[in-house]
Amino acid sequence: MKNNRIGLILVVSSLAVIALVVTLMLQRQHAEQAEQLRVQGLGSVRALAALPASVLLPQPDGANQSGVLGSVLAQRDHPGFAYAVISAQDGRSLAEVASPGTIVPPAAPLDLAGADERSVAPGQNARAIREFRAPLASADARLQLRIGYFEPQGLLDLKDLPFYALIALAVFLLVPLIYIVIKREMAPLAALGEQLKTLGAAQAQPNTALVAGQDADQDVRGLAGKLNRYLDHTSARIRELEQDSIASMASGRLLEYGSNKMQAVLQCLPDGLLVLDPAGEVTFATGKIEPLLGVPVAEVLSQPVEAWCRDPELRAMLARFRGAGLDARSQMTIEFNPLGVPGKRLWATAQALTGHSMAYGTLVVLRDATREHLARQAGNDFVAHVAHELKSPLNVIGMYGEMLADVGNDDAAVRVEAINVIQDEVERMTSLVNNLLNVSKLEMGSMRPERHRVKLDDLLRDAWQQARSRADAKGIRLDLQVARELAAVSVDKDMFRIALNNLLNNAIKYNQQGGSVTLSAEEGDSDVVIAVRDSGIGMTPEDRERVTEKFFRVRETGEEQRGGHGLGLYLSNQIVELHHGRLTIDSELGHGSVFSIHLKKMPALAEGGQVL
Amino acid sequence: MKKSILLVDDEPHVIRVLRLMLEREGYEVASANDGNEALEKMAARRPDVMVSDIQMAGMDGRELCRTVRSRYPDETFPVFVMTSMTASQEREWVRELVNVEFLEKPLSPRQLIARLTTYFATPENPHA
Repeated sequence: MKNNRIGLILVVSSLAVIALVVTLMLQRQHAEQAEQLRVQGLGSVRALAALPASVLLPQPDGANQSGVLGSVLAQRDHPGFAYAVISAQDGRSLAEVASPGTIVPPAAPLDLAGADERSVAPGQNARAIREFRAPLASADARLQLRIGYFEPQGLLDLKDLPFYALIALAVFLLVPLIYIVIKREMAPLAALGEQLKTLGAAQAQPNTALVAGQDADQDVRGLAGKLNRYLDHTSARIRELEQDSIASMASGRLLEYGSNKMQAVLQCLPDGLLVLDPAGEVTFATGKIEPLLGVPVAEVLSQPVEAWCRDPELRAMLARFRGAGLDARSQMTIEFNPLGVPGKRLWATAQALTGHSMAYGTLVVLRDATREHLARQAGNDFVAHVAHELKSPLNVIGMYGEMLADVGNDDAAVRVEAINVIQDEVERMTSLVNNLLNVSKLEMGSMRPERHRVKLDDLLRDAWQQARSRADAKGIRLDLQVARELAAVSVDKDMFRIALNNLLNNAIKYNQQGGSVTLSAEEGDSDVVIAVRDSGIGMTPEDRERVTEKFFRVRETGEEQRGGHGLGLYLSNQIVELHHGRLTIDSELGHGSVFSIHLKKMPALAEGGQVL
Repeated sequence: MKKSILLVDDEPHVIRVLRLMLEREGYEVASANDGNEALEKMAARRPDVMVSDIQMAGMDGRELCRTVRSRYPDETFPVFVMTSMTASQEREWVRELVNVEFLEKPLSPRQLIARLTTYFATPENPHA
């Protein structure tokens, strides 16, 4: 019964909604038609009233028999056109055009200077008429032009009928749907209501109370049970909905977290990334792009490639990947110097972004290859330099060999000189070749220090002795400041000698005649510091930072070419590090350098220990 | 009359050997350690042939050759440049200058003597 009532209410309310919607639409349509009519009427009356009366009125001479009014309005410019009249002051019609079956109402006196409108109630004509009038520009009498249109009827336009029917159908279909949903959700509650009502009715009859006492108790228990079940069902449903909502919120947050994390990962990559859509415009760029290309990320993201990309090589590569040509399937790498960052060298790799049989555009990875480029350049320079270094002594050896053959037999002095020079040059070449071999061994990992307990003062004295002849030849004083009682250290004697020789050779090589080199050693609490101090040309802070790099050579600005090969200090540093020590450099351009080796001291020697 | 040779090299051993060998062949030899010293020597007396290294501290061989040719445009005595750098860019600048030729390092003194002998034996050559 109650369900029927709800159904009825729903049907009635849906009809009311449909009626309301249709009414509102009709009202709106009517208002629009009325407005259209006003615009049309006032426009026509103003346009015609501006013409002289002689043009509008028919002339008896035949030149203008029907008058312009007749010609214009006979065409019935509007479906609701009723009449058009030119009336004299006394109400006479001087010219008249009317639609069939229309009676022109009498003119009302006109006092206005401009256009006016009035409504003519239905009477002579079946429908109300809206009349627009205006005084005519005439010399003889006060003439007025009146144009009447039937008021819009506000009826339903037949052409709009399918539209309204569609709305009504939608509302009608929605009603049973809502009804079914409500009924489903309300069914347990309705059953409970019915039961309560039955119980109430039973208790209201006192005669049957005693008989039905037990039944009533059972009914109440049944009711409570049902109520509990309903409550349980409702709570479970609420929990289910809450869980759904939490799960959906959590998955949303998880997605957001994942996306943010991925962004952070991409931004943290040492390489710059650009993602271009298939049309070739940038849709994603990481912050590393700016230091690599010298173009702000905002500019990259907001402007077309042609506007921000100044590098022709990169622009050409991006153009090749535009669209879905054959090239989009392959990978392409270029190397170039970006115009925006002088001195930088970049690798740019472009690759089509595809997956799940979709093409997302192009991924471009920009990598700073400056160091690799410099290393490659240094490697090439090194090979050229080594070739030169090897050719120079060979040249001298070859010349002295020829001289020995041609002149040596006649001149003993020439013979001795030639032999000495050849020996010196062979030594020079051997030193270079040895350093090359040592570097190669070090890098292949086959150079392993065999450490023994070594008396440091002997080792330093040997190195000093060896370097003296070279220092003397260049006019450089070589001093030794080493105490006899220095602590022992644990080193590979042969390797350590290479490190020391290279430091001393450099100190002599990058020095000037009359300069000095001092080899010293000092003992601290836990370590020993061996220092090679020179009064040479020194280094800039930038060179000092890089001087132990392989193949690095200090730029020589002076007149003298020192002929270094960029291996000595690299080798020394590597050897010191293999001994768990460290090499420090203190230098000032023009004021010499100090190279210090810091080594850990060995604990005091036990009785009978072996010292090499 | 003895032909004069100006040797320019910063490697004293090279100067020493070439001087000894050339003097034995009857040439008059002057020497300089770099381009600037060579120009000083040349201001006093122009040689019949100049033999110069390219890589030198101070004024190098390339600069020296250009200066010599622009300072003495009418003196087209031959210049032999010695270098171990056989790169194409070295070949190019040499081609631009009049009567400048290469001597490949390692240099054989006998080959130099043979080149000089051939040069002076051809009467059409300047200073021959």
